[in-house]
Amino acid sequence: MGLFYVIYLDFMRQINIPDWLIIILWHIINFCFAAVLLIFIVLFLVLFERKYLAFFTRRKGPNRVGLNGCLQTAADGLKILFKENILPSGADKFLYFCAPLLVFSPIMAVYCLIPFAEDLTAYNSCCGVLLFMAILSLPPLGVLFAGYSSGNKYSLIGGIRSCVQSISSEIPVFIVLAGIVLLTGSMNLNEITKAQSGIFLNWNIFPSILGFIIFLICSLIIMNRIPFDFPEAESELTAGYNSEYSGMKFAMFFLGEYALTFIFSAFIAVLFLGGYNPPFGVYAADLLNLPLISGAIVKNIEQFFWLMIKTYILILIIMWFRAAYPRLRQSDAIEFCWYILIPLSVFNLFILCIIQFIRGCL
Amino acid sequence: MNSVNTNIMEINIGPQHPSTHGVLRLKVTLEGEKILNIEPVIGYLHRGMEKMAENRNYIQYLPVVDRIDYLSGFFCSYAYVNAVELLMNIEIPIKAKYIRTLTMEMNRIMSHLLWLGCYLLDLGATSPLFYAFIEREKLMDILEDLTGARMMYNYYTFGGVKKDIPVDILKRIYDFAKHFPSSVKEYEDLISDNPIFTSRTMKTGILAKETAEQFSITGANLRASGAAKDLRKDSPYLIYNLLDFNIPVKQTGDSYCRYITRINEMKESNKIILQCLDRLLTDENDNEINLKLNPLSIKPEGEVISEVESSRGLMQCIISADGSSNPLRIKWRTPSFYAAQLLNTIAKNHLLPDLMAVFGSLDIIMPEVDR
Amino acid sequence: MIMSFLNPLKALLKGLAVVLKNALKPDVTLEYPEKKKPLNENFRGRIKYIKENCIKCGLCKKVCPVKTAIMIGDDFVIDYTKCIFCGSCTEFCPKNALIRTKEYELASKDKNNLIMKENINYGNN
Repeated sequence: MGLFYVIYLDFMRQINIPDWLIIILWHIINFCFAAVLLIFIVLFLVLFERKYLAFFTRRKGPNRVGLNGCLQTAADGLKILFKENILPSGADKFLYFCAPLLVFSPIMAVYCLIPFAEDLTAYNSCCGVLLFMAILSLPPLGVLFAGYSSGNKYSLIGGIRSCVQSISSEIPVFIVLAGIVLLTGSMNLNEITKAQSGIFLNWNIFPSILGFIIFLICSLIIMNRIPFDFPEAESELTAGYNSEYSGMKFAMFFLGEYALTFIFSAFIAVLFLGGYNPPFGVYAADLLNLPLISGAIVKNIEQFFWLMIKTYILILIIMWFRAAYPRLRQSDAIEFCWYILIPLSVFNLFILCIIQFIRGCL
Repeated sequence: MNSVNTNIMEINIGPQHPSTHGVLRLKVTLEGEKILNIEPVIGYLHRGMEKMAENRNYIQYLPVVDRIDYLSGFFCSYAYVNAVELLMNIEIPIKAKYIRTLTMEMNRIMSHLLWLGCYLLDLGATSPLFYAFIEREKLMDILEDLTGARMMYNYYTFGGVKKDIPVDILKRIYDFAKHFPSSVKEYEDLISDNPIFTSRTMKTGILAKETAEQFSITGANLRASGAAKDLRKDSPYLIYNLLDFNIPVKQTGDSYCRYITRINEMKESNKIILQCLDRLLTDENDNEINLKLNPLSIKPEGEVISEVESSRGLMQCIISADGSSNPLRIKWRTPSFYAAQLLNTIAKNHLLPDLMAVFGSLDIIMPEVDR
Repeated sequence: MIMSFLNPLKALLKGLAVVLKNALKPDVTLEYPEKKKPLNENFRGRIKYIKENCIKCGLCKKVCPVKTAIMIGDDFVIDYTKCIFCGSCTEFCPKNALIRTKEYELASKDKNNLIMKENINYGNN
């Protein structure tokens, strides 16, 4: 909770608001913060990806709405709000309505777990790593529901593919995570970040470069991005699990996918790239000798900035893959997970054990 | 009660599906993702091209012919024009032969480039499409300035070609041909060794040489299976006997071989273009490009088969004429029609994603199948 | 053994390098309504009819692959909704009464804009 909570508590007590309301309001504010952040990030990310891919393919990308196309996704979002919601005749109504929520809300929930800055963590859970992955195992279920309930064969295949790949990709992820927990001695994302403070050589990526690569590949599978976007492989399954969705329900899948890309990149940045720590271990706020409160605020902003930089570098790399590679066959990808990634991640864990043992001896 | 078979699923791919390249419909029987049976259903783009010929005179039918294979219209145009020339027993001027060869090879490159882009799009890669289209666009611009349209050229006429190629357009083609090998190198760098690409294309859709011959497959699909059959070498038409080029052949016959064959074919076509340009740029005194026939007076008689090695394979135009101004009957033999029948043989027992990889590699284009 | 791991990796990196190299090249987009591609005189756009040159020989109708795109009666009618812009009529017109223009933006909300009709019946007045 930290600094911001103290400031907030202080302010609320001054204007005589009862304690129970203060706590509820705090959570509501956190939620609004996450929601607004998410919407803006997603709108930006969609535009960013289109521009970025256009850059790779020698095009201009969207450049009509707003200055150089900056309002394109806002206009798209507005358009999608006015679209008709269509219920296919063969659909399972209840699941059909549930599925987008089941995809979108867990992704939104994990925004609370990421320490964007030292005092900017909505929910500082003691086992954040575990909770993060546990919550993120829900969206594939939503995708499966969507595929099953649409009453469309393409959707069904897409939904099943999503389930299959989530099973095979999450095992190496958890083994790599075990290595990280071993290195940092904590499951709390804030603690993990703090364990990597100092210059960039302290980041987890250096002992665990193999783990980083495995994690990046698996995150591509979890995020459904090329080269692993099987559930919605448009050349095979038209649009996969969301073929039958329209309007806001489609938007939820779509936003969820980009929100997941962002939050997972942030998660990797926290685990491997030192989270909000600046690369050289020095804060401008410390150098400027600012007074206590404003200094702490500036420091938080700085940390937020660093995390964003790292996240966006990862997103750039992920989108770069999309520009360069075709899609794998799913059976190959699953084989790759089971036969190569899992042994490699165990090997990675073994190396980390040795490193940790040596560290303990020194 | 429980009589429904829950293991087998029938799924309709197309006629409107992102990767069926037009309007092919595939009735696919799946077990899980494994393909048990594929039944191609054609006819969604049928325009009655053969019937149309019967109530049009020879020159009226000429612009329509380009639309049989709209990605490489010159080949259809050539097959038809050549058939009429054979009926009339005339020999076209040598410069017209060079121009026809040049434009047809440009068209072959264009067609293969579009195939390359779309094939990689089928496999999920987006960038190669744009890179291929950038090069294709240059050729289209050149052909637009030469013929007046981007795809429906209507450039050949009975007894030659309609317009002479100006020197500046020849120079533009020369610039393109000089630059093109580096572009092909780029595609190869991006695609050929990519493990994702090779894992999806190698050992899938294997077309044995015998099967290919049984199904009358021609063109790059056949040459990827190990048969070095190319009409340009076997019975050279136009000026192909004067040119120096190779026929790329691969042995295995899988999707990857078909890809490599087409990439190499583009390189060979580029070589042919440069050779044609050599002749056209050096010999400027030869200005005879057509025989100046009156197309409305064409009233041939007889029956003739005209063949051309189009970008997709052997294309034949069979005309039966009775001495009136309209042909009695025209029959088209188009290579994609035969390739479309292959699917059930070579893509069976593959997975659903492989269906697209195999289907795309055959370079089937629907207007040519349905005509 | 190691090479079988390294070669695909090298190819993957090469692919990334190729797209990056292409990213540094200039854009090829033609921003269409603002900028247009220059066309030369060969371009087969909307066909212009020059009444004064026309001798009503009917050759254009004879060579037209779409039999109903050109109709000659009291009016000379070119139906652009049916025309396939093959350019045959302009090519065969002996008096240059039909000429090619570079106009290609023919989309219209009113079908009548796409039917060119000109009275060529001089006889009665």
